Amino acid sequence: MKQPTIKPFGEQAVLIEWKPAIDDKILDNVLKANQLIQQSFKEEVIETVSAYSSIAVFFKKGIKQNDFIEQLTKKLKKAPKIETSLSRILHIPVCYDSKFALDIETVAKKNELSVKEVIAMHTEQQYKVYFLGFLPGFPYLGGLNKQLHTPRKDTPREKIEAGSVAIGGSQTGVYTTYSPGGWNIIGKSPLSFFSIKNNPPALIQPGDIVQFKQVSKDLFLQIEVEVAAGVYKIEEEVIDD
Amino acid sequence: MIEILKAGLYTTLQDKGRTGYRSFGVPISGAMDTVSAAMANKLLDNNAKAAVLEFTMMGPTLQFKVPTVISISGAGFQPKVNGEPIGLNKAVSVIEKDVLTFGHPKLGSYGYLAVLGGFEAQEVLGSRSFYQNITKKGKLEKGYILKFQKDASEKILRNASFSIDSTHFSDDTIEFFPGPEFNLLPKKLQEKIVASTLKVGPQSNRMAYVMEGLESFSAKEIITAPVQPGTVQLTPSGKCVVLMRDAQTTGGYARILQLTEQAICKLAQKRTGEEVRIKLKSYNDN
Repeated sequence: MKQPTIKPFGEQAVLIEWKPAIDDKILDNVLKANQLIQQSFKEEVIETVSAYSSIAVFFKKGIKQNDFIEQLTKKLKKAPKIETSLSRILHIPVCYDSKFALDIETVAKKNELSVKEVIAMHTEQQYKVYFLGFLPGFPYLGGLNKQLHTPRKDTPREKIEAGSVAIGGSQTGVYTTYSPGGWNIIGKSPLSFFSIKNNPPALIQPGDIVQFKQVSKDLFLQIEVEVAAGVYKIEEEVIDD
Repeated sequence: MIEILKAGLYTTLQDKGRTGYRSFGVPISGAMDTVSAAMANKLLDNNAKAAVLEFTMMGPTLQFKVPTVISISGAGFQPKVNGEPIGLNKAVSVIEKDVLTFGHPKLGSYGYLAVLGGFEAQEVLGSRSFYQNITKKGKLEKGYILKFQKDASEKILRNASFSIDSTHFSDDTIEFFPGPEFNLLPKKLQEKIVASTLKVGPQSNRMAYVMEGLESFSAKEIITAPVQPGTVQLTPSGKCVVLMRDAQTTGGYARILQLTEQAICKLAQKRTGEEVRIKLKSYNDN
């Protein structure tokens, strides 16, 4: 494991940092260190927040920051070499019908593509989930085709429905809860991405791979009913990374 | 039970916050000024985790449907029961049909009302703190009925009162640690930031306080990284934002400073237009 730096972040947290980059290898280090910390410091740690290339570790009152940094450093140094890990590919149904895809024509026009080409490019790519943030359960996805990059809207919408699939700059993602937002909406998924009734509450997890799958309006409505009834089973496969 | 007759400006239930779910992008939430909220609970011997009512600048109007004991802490509101002043930071008995008003605070911004045993509300992901999209309600509205954890039969009349540290509201010096990106800023800029005065801007709320005073400075964006309440972000255009209790869990702006927990509470009580000075704290002082 590449050695990160560890420094204080306020009174009750430390920050573990790798080279600041959006990179699958760094993500692998981040996710493994995160897992190791959660397993090894159950007594000391309240929770951790990981992002592209860093982890914030929030520790309990009464723990000495300097001692904790020392322990963490030792632990991460001794950590076993990176092994290949298993990843889930989640196939997320998305309806790209104009009823939901409020901005798909804008995205097509700005990139000199047809709507069909936008859908094809958006669904052929597999997106790595780096971490969750911004909204509850919101996945930060890497790997959007450059030809689909589209600037955020000048004036954000006040209401975006949960499940809306969107493009903002070089990123694509799903609005997991109802929210205001400035990304271009190109479709909608009938799945529930965040629910306090589920454990864990978020459908998508860091390290997962997401692939969007086009569905018709009819199938969208059918899945929506199945999701509401709690009988929908998400299509997933496990792969060796 | 209490009926909300008037909702006030932004009235919510808050406790110590929602820990354990930040990795899912769920904000921690909880009382803006945890020191004052804890005081309100302590006056009634409540559990430290009991939910309190939080209100700001324009308090709600409440009617009690049953007798109970209450305490009010935080900003310098002027609470009255049926028009009679009752004072802050002490336990006060109320009876059925009593109407409680708060008026406007003379000092500070956030007030807290505790009831004996705490407010009853659905615990969502380990907390009763309101947060839109997580709890059913984002804020309280007129007509809503709030329930209590305990009924009045357990009522004990208390005379307890505490004196509060008034510097919590009047002191304009606030302690900051250097943030993760502080040392990446040019030395001169570091010195200028520490010497500057920050003014609370009008767009300040439970999510973030927008601070004026660093407009002529700027910092490069970073690759999105963890943030927490008390993180001070500086944008490339010189906008300075202090994240508060309902803040997102990650952000892409330079984290130049980090408030202490005490400092978050002090800043929470500052109003639009009020100024604070930065006192830089070293991690070696810990």
